Amino acid sequence: MAMATSTFSPRPASRAGSLKPLQAGAKLHPSLSFPRFRAGRLARAAAGEAPVEVVEAPPKEVEPTPAASNGAAVKAEAPTKAVEVEAAPVPRFRDGRWVNGTWDLKQFEKGGVVDWDAVIDAEARRRKWLEDYPEATNTDEAVVFDTSIVPWWAWMKRFHLPEAEKLNGRAAMIGFFMAYFVDSLTGVGLVDQMGNFFCKTLLFVAVAGVLFIRKNEDLDSLKKIIDESTFYDKQWQATWQEDSPAGPKK
Amino acid sequence: MASAVSCHSPARISISCSYSAPGRGGRPLRVAVVGGGPAGASAAEALASAGAQAFLVERSPAGAKPCGGAIPLCMLDEFAIPPELIDRRVTRMHVLSPSNLVADFSRTLPPGAHVPMVRREVLDSFLRRRAADAGATLVPGLVTSLSVPTGPADPYLIHYISSEEKGRREVLEVDAVVGADGANSRVAREVGAGEYATAIAFQERIELPDDAMAYYDELAEMYVGGDLTPDFYAWVFPKRDHVAVGTFTVGAKRDIKRLQAGIRARAAPKIAEAASVRVEAHPIPDHPRPRRVVGRVALVGDAAGYVARCTGEGIYFAAKSGRLCGRAMAEEWARTGAVTEAGLRKNYLRRWDDEFTLMFRFLDLLQRVFYGGNAGREALVEMCADEYVQRRTFESYLYKQMVAGEPLGDLRLLGRTVASMVRCGILGREVERLRRLDLQLLA
Repeated sequence: MAMATSTFSPRPASRAGSLKPLQAGAKLHPSLSFPRFRAGRLARAAAGEAPVEVVEAPPKEVEPTPAASNGAAVKAEAPTKAVEVEAAPVPRFRDGRWVNGTWDLKQFEKGGVVDWDAVIDAEARRRKWLEDYPEATNTDEAVVFDTSIVPWWAWMKRFHLPEAEKLNGRAAMIGFFMAYFVDSLTGVGLVDQMGNFFCKTLLFVAVAGVLFIRKNEDLDSLKKIIDESTFYDKQWQATWQEDSPAGPKK
Repeated sequence: MASAVSCHSPARISISCSYSAPGRGGRPLRVAVVGGGPAGASAAEALASAGAQAFLVERSPAGAKPCGGAIPLCMLDEFAIPPELIDRRVTRMHVLSPSNLVADFSRTLPPGAHVPMVRREVLDSFLRRRAADAGATLVPGLVTSLSVPTGPADPYLIHYISSEEKGRREVLEVDAVVGADGANSRVAREVGAGEYATAIAFQERIELPDDAMAYYDELAEMYVGGDLTPDFYAWVFPKRDHVAVGTFTVGAKRDIKRLQAGIRARAAPKIAEAASVRVEAHPIPDHPRPRRVVGRVALVGDAAGYVARCTGEGIYFAAKSGRLCGRAMAEEWARTGAVTEAGLRKNYLRRWDDEFTLMFRFLDLLQRVFYGGNAGREALVEMCADEYVQRRTFESYLYKQMVAGEPLGDLRLLGRTVASMVRCGILGREVERLRRLDLQLLA
């Protein structure tokens, strides 16, 4: 479980950099990725590639086309225009299943039960859209969707279980070969290994370690988190560090 | 001259009596308080009430510091702020997430409680006048340098350019100095107190038509999102007859114009078409300076770096630290006839740290977790919809007490926090995955 600290969260600057041209009122940078991004969207929308996208492609397909031309127009005129770009409206998020500020669960039903995976997908897409094209709040269409309506087992089934399976599989493989290896070296069988206190401790450390360090990058991330969280504390303690060398000055 | 100064906070009542202390050779303590904001004025008042000679040096007594202007409720009691100084009493607050989910902080406000909004020029001049009434000497002037003494009994020399005498250079001889001159503190630079990272706060004041202004009658809005600021929040705060729309950031100072355009866009339907009447910006310290007491010079307020993270509050901490420092100096002078660095550390720094470090560290943790990325911000707003969270928030914000709440409620809160973080973190990672998919398909 990764907490959304700056370590794990996506760096906003890098993303925003390629998408700056589309925010209203923003000064445009000559962004090379911009025309390709728009063209890519159109190509994909036209091809109707992934089946998941199809449901949303129709309502949103209309948006990219006028936005693309708007965007191009804005890009050309940006150097001469003033700050506010009222003429090129930012496309609003639209989806047939987003009704009255929340997802209409009835439209997600598959065989009588709500398809929670599709709800999660739709919400992820909505958030991605809003990150790229932030929208002003509207008191008429207040957003009321709360992620807690998706039941806990839906989250678990989709995200926790596959990873748990992967980690358990890795642990089992490593465990089997370590047990074999120790047995061949010391002659102590698996049952006797488990009876030893030292081995039990090692096992505990291994389990705890796997929970926190699952990829190589996690080591760096953990170190960074520890540094970050103690940085502020160090600032407060800094003034006390000179107690010994300086001595009471008059 | 005996004066009793009382201050009370909800948890404890402390009454301290100070008296005119003869000190060394029978003369009163002389202190130069550089900077006439809430910190300086409170320090000068505390010193003057205790019988010391306080010189409050302020370079622009008529100026208005760019500021949000919100003060916590306990400040009204502790600093006896008269109700006519308050422009607005905010009783509703909205926190808006990047996906425009709104947390409405109005149902759980304790009855009678509100967030007072003041104009800085009004508050500052009131506090300065009160300091003058207590016996402090107001010195309009700009401090240019500070001469550090060689011996323990030698005075500090404050070189300043007087505003009254048309640029005449003057010197002030004092026993101790309180540096209350804000984020770009000259005193801190002169004594080598060290540097700190600063955030830049950028704000536009916008006059709205009456019907649009009515929407913000008692409402303050806080917006979070990567498009507005990568590390704090953007705001729309109502002032007397206009709204202040602004944002602040540490990490993205170069993009401040884009961030400001972002908040204008997000609040556009409510502040639409209105032009700004004033644009202002100011640095805000991000963390305390490495050395807050150097010799017989003590830093207070923004100069010391006492701005809470996560909320960006500084006025209350400035006033409180000024008062604490002033009292510490006067007490030490009365007791021993001298002000020393060790005495300042013990009576001012140690007391300040004991009372507030925990709160500051907790707010730092909140900021790291919840303002780090859009996933955290969504989780923050989701959690803020919970009544228990709102109540605890108000208790700790309005009264500046880290109250230990009900254990069961706290446990439930922890559970909810973790759950919200997990869900929003998962969605954040899904968004990232979709973005990577987009880029892959482009290539």
